[in-house]
Amino acid sequence: MNRNKKQMSNCCTKALNMAARTRLPLLFPKNLPPLRNQQLAHTQAAVKEPSYPPVVASLTAKSKSARLRQVEEQIQKIRASTVQEKIDYITRIQREKFVIYPQSFSRNPDKWYQHFTKTAYIPGLPEKFSPGEEQPEAAENSPPAVDHHQGSEDEAFRDIRSLVTRVILQEHWHLNKRKVFLFRKQEQTVGPLLRNLVAGLTYSLAKYNPLIPLSSLDFNPQVNFYWRRGQRFIPKGHRKGRLEPTRFQIDDHPHSQIRITQQLPQFTPMEASYSAEVPEITLAPNVMPLFRRQYDNHIYTGSKLPDPACYGHTQFHLVPDRYHRDRMARQQQSDQVEPFLRANGLASLFAWTGAQAMYQGFWNHEDVTRPFVSQAVITDGQFFSFFCYQLNTVALSVEADSDNPRKNLLWGTESMRLYESVQDGEVVGLDDGVIKLLVKFLMNQP
Amino acid sequence: MPVTRLLYPLYQLGNPQLRIFRPNWFLTLVRPGKEMPPDTAQFRIPMVMTKYDVKNYLEKIYNVPVGTVRTRIQFGSNKKRNHLNQKVKQPDYKVAYVQLAQGQTFTFPNIFPEKDSEPTEGSMEEVQEKFMEDEKQKQKLDPRRGGVTEWFGL
Repeated sequence: MNRNKKQMSNCCTKALNMAARTRLPLLFPKNLPPLRNQQLAHTQAAVKEPSYPPVVASLTAKSKSARLRQVEEQIQKIRASTVQEKIDYITRIQREKFVIYPQSFSRNPDKWYQHFTKTAYIPGLPEKFSPGEEQPEAAENSPPAVDHHQGSEDEAFRDIRSLVTRVILQEHWHLNKRKVFLFRKQEQTVGPLLRNLVAGLTYSLAKYNPLIPLSSLDFNPQVNFYWRRGQRFIPKGHRKGRLEPTRFQIDDHPHSQIRITQQLPQFTPMEASYSAEVPEITLAPNVMPLFRRQYDNHIYTGSKLPDPACYGHTQFHLVPDRYHRDRMARQQQSDQVEPFLRANGLASLFAWTGAQAMYQGFWNHEDVTRPFVSQAVITDGQFFSFFCYQLNTVALSVEADSDNPRKNLLWGTESMRLYESVQDGEVVGLDDGVIKLLVKFLMNQP
Repeated sequence: MPVTRLLYPLYQLGNPQLRIFRPNWFLTLVRPGKEMPPDTAQFRIPMVMTKYDVKNYLEKIYNVPVGTVRTRIQFGSNKKRNHLNQKVKQPDYKVAYVQLAQGQTFTFPNIFPEKDSEPTEGSMEEVQEKFMEDEKQKQKLDPRRGGVTEWFGL
């Protein structure tokens, strides 16, 4: 019975199918041309484009695309927030990070630091400070002292020269100092010297540089910067195999720094840095060696956000006793003196200038629109080295750096000797060129 | 040197007037496990040696210009158990990373290079190789059977 029924029903469906087929002509095309369909619709204006919400990945799922979306949302959130909140968001999550000491203990640190900060090093100073350009500098000097010429300028320079002599003699001749503590010599003798020098120079140059009266001179400030560059696969642990950005932190303590209310002019246009060479290092940073620690991430220029003197002018650094050139020579590491100074200038200036850019609201995903510029002088009392830094980019992490031709630029001199020695209340062999360079650095203005 | 009373032989055969005393320390130059900068060499050194000892050792005996020496102690695993289920400690050792001065570089040499030479015609090695090859060919299954095992079939 059952079987019969099934057969019957099968037959019926077949007949129906056949009947349906026979109703259409045999040569009827199955897919109609689109035009014919449209012709049928005479109410074209009424047809509305359906507006669907964009297809996006889930925000909560456990997937790669969800992770991407979360990252993207976070970036948008940081973009939309104020500067204070931006810095707060960027530095919020603590992870293990490489701590970069500007005064580095490793060998040839400058190449590594160049890679970490994407900085090209250009030996010598920018054209602004080159000795050939005496006259424009003098012209810049003169506006306060309207039409005075060589005479008054010479006089001003003589004053500064006598100031420098006085400061050196004060520390090395007039004062009767007790024996310094072990490894504190620089701090206890050159520290006060540099302090007097900077204070005196800024005071005497305030007549000529209208920026200096408005500037802020900090002694023993703190400068911090935190950034990400490069990535690695986590080798072991429960997060094994995931990509992790490499994080860096600089905690710098300059001897003193001058902050100003207006930005210094750029040394070269940004496009000039496209062709500069940055050494590429593929090794892991911990073989430099560099060590990782976890603590609060800080970004700080030496002043809080509402401070109007938010742009950097010049930093002064002291070479600590541990890296004094005499000690290096005793250890037969005289070849490391210059790389050490270069690395110090590079790391300190990058940290300071980067923090200034962050205070203006620029960060990894919002690159700087104008270059930021700072200068530094590193000294051990006798030898002075001069550095200029132009920050062209803060987009250093892997995702932001992929097609970014901009590079940061560092100009620097070898160390130059200010004086030979102090004998019988006289400074022997005072070098005018170094004093002039110091004055030029402090006279730099927009 | 460790604080031990050194007893060196007072008399030596022939009684040479010039005697050279060298530390009874042995340094092992090892291939670094992780990639290192080109100016760095890695050693395993005795526990009692300090970085200054390493520096003097390399400079005075081998005339190697040493920039810096960093040392660390590698903990040997204590996880293994023997057949009595007792813990077996792998010995600890000290590792020294030596950075060379004066721009010198060091790459660990390839101690076991690949043999590339063909064995000579008619030699014992060639015959042996040929025999091994034939044997391997015999071991292989018939490709026409498409991976069906030998015992299956008529």
